[in-house]
Amino acid sequence: MKLVDFLDRKAKFFFILPSVLWLLVITAFPLIYSLLLSFLSTGASAWGKFVGLQNYIALFKNYRFWNSLRITIMFVASAVGIEMALGIGLALLLNTEIKARKFFRTLFMTPLFATPLALGYLGLILFSEASGPINTFLYTLGLKKILWFTNPKAALLSIVIVDVWKWSPFCFLVILAALQGVPQQIYEAAKLESTSHVAIFKYITLPLIAPALLTVFLLRTIEAFKVLDIPYALTSGGPGITTEAYSLYTYKVGLRFFNFGPASALAYFLMGIILIFCIFFFSKIRSIHEG
Amino acid sequence: MNRSVYLKKFSLYILLMIVTFIIIFPFYWAFITSIKLPKEAFSLSLIPWLQFKPTLMNWKAEVVGKGETLFNAIKNSLIVATSSALISTLIGTLAGYGLARFRYQTWKNKDIAIFFLASRMVPPVVVVLPYFLIFKFLGLIDTKISLIVVYTAINMVFPVLLSRDAFHEIPSEIEECALVDGCTRFGVFFRVSLPLVIPAVVAAFIICYAFAWNEFLIALTLTFRHSVTIPITIAGTEHIQGVQFWFTSIRFLLTVAPPVVVAAFAQKFIVKGLTFGAVKG
Repeated sequence: MKLVDFLDRKAKFFFILPSVLWLLVITAFPLIYSLLLSFLSTGASAWGKFVGLQNYIALFKNYRFWNSLRITIMFVASAVGIEMALGIGLALLLNTEIKARKFFRTLFMTPLFATPLALGYLGLILFSEASGPINTFLYTLGLKKILWFTNPKAALLSIVIVDVWKWSPFCFLVILAALQGVPQQIYEAAKLESTSHVAIFKYITLPLIAPALLTVFLLRTIEAFKVLDIPYALTSGGPGITTEAYSLYTYKVGLRFFNFGPASALAYFLMGIILIFCIFFFSKIRSIHEG
Repeated sequence: MNRSVYLKKFSLYILLMIVTFIIIFPFYWAFITSIKLPKEAFSLSLIPWLQFKPTLMNWKAEVVGKGETLFNAIKNSLIVATSSALISTLIGTLAGYGLARFRYQTWKNKDIAIFFLASRMVPPVVVVLPYFLIFKFLGLIDTKISLIVVYTAINMVFPVLLSRDAFHEIPSEIEECALVDGCTRFGVFFRVSLPLVIPAVVAAFIICYAFAWNEFLIALTLTFRHSVTIPITIAGTEHIQGVQFWFTSIRFLLTVAPPVVVAAFAQKFIVKGLTFGAVKG
């Protein structure tokens, strides 16, 4: 009886305690551990000694670091850009009065739940240079086959295509929900004023769904910076290291060559990029909501 | 006038058909590759019976021949995804209730919500090395427990925020009645409030389940034989003779089917679930 009373008086804390503790132990603790590692010269076998910022300094002199950073930024910019555009387009397409809207919405969101690694491996089949359906299709159209895995630019493009296929549905779902939240009367009023479709979209729809757009953009950019599964399966960084995404490179340094110190420094640099990005945009999102 | 409306409708449906094709094609291609003879796997034939003779040979070779590894991986994935989704939904919903009903002082409610969100921003490569070292130290490498513990944490944010929004919509008068009648806070939670937010809980559970099922990097790091999950086994189809398309496509289908099918059936809940916050702001 007493225990029940105690629980009830402190209920407020017992409700959030389990999940907060779980997260602190499983996320916050490894984060600190990893920060610590990044200052050590730890290799596979023994604990290294404290080397200060040397792991970080070594990074900036490393060609592969800059290479993977450049590739990741190119990937993020193109993938997120296309996903946003397609997401808006698809959402507008389904925000009209069509039959079977629910059916199409269900269909359009299926890629979202497909395993990214599995998609990468399926990509090996679809993009196969000699005999994949995409190249065979291009060939029958009388076009040149694309050397998806030999040409560095095409290889990066293939990763972008798979990522776009998988994640555009997310942008689409959120933007569609935002569009459906716009009160219908506003459009009717605008139509009375006989405003053009483009003007309605630009001056009415866009400002109203701006918060949703920003949120999607933020979430997608953060996720895209972490990309690993698709390049791991599809190109494993090749040809050479021309599609070696940042996380993939970090993974190789840490868990293939067991250079824990340098890998942690690499990982923390990515963490820093994402952190700065978040801080910059959180204030923007907040100002939009309040303004 | 009428004609332009008709034309518009027509082009709309053409566009929808194109998108439908692009979404279905990869699944369909994987399916027909899995029922083609290896020598036919490279042809552009699309329709079974008409253009090529379908065969179950590959499925037999995969499922009967290598069945043990495959079923073991599927079993592991089921156990890991289901238990981690259950735990994060249970304790995440508790936190969601707390955030919706109480006001916290030292850490404000908003700070706690951001703390949960921030956990999702951490790149997996940052924590995967410590996980490896910690679980090695604990002797938990290649166990399902290590995966369950980690997945529970990384998916926690979904049930917390989803259920918080759902609890917000329940009038607190209902709970006050139960409290007056002598029910404890936890009693109210389980008997009164939780049953009212079942849709949000289902959505959260499915999202957690799918994310856990699809996770690759952490599973790759923490398991190597007994506890490998299904995504790891596709990575294993790479062969010295190159990729064996027909086997890869079977594993692709086995991997992708569970989360996709579950999500399709529960799509009503999911749409609400995935668009949380983003719309309301």
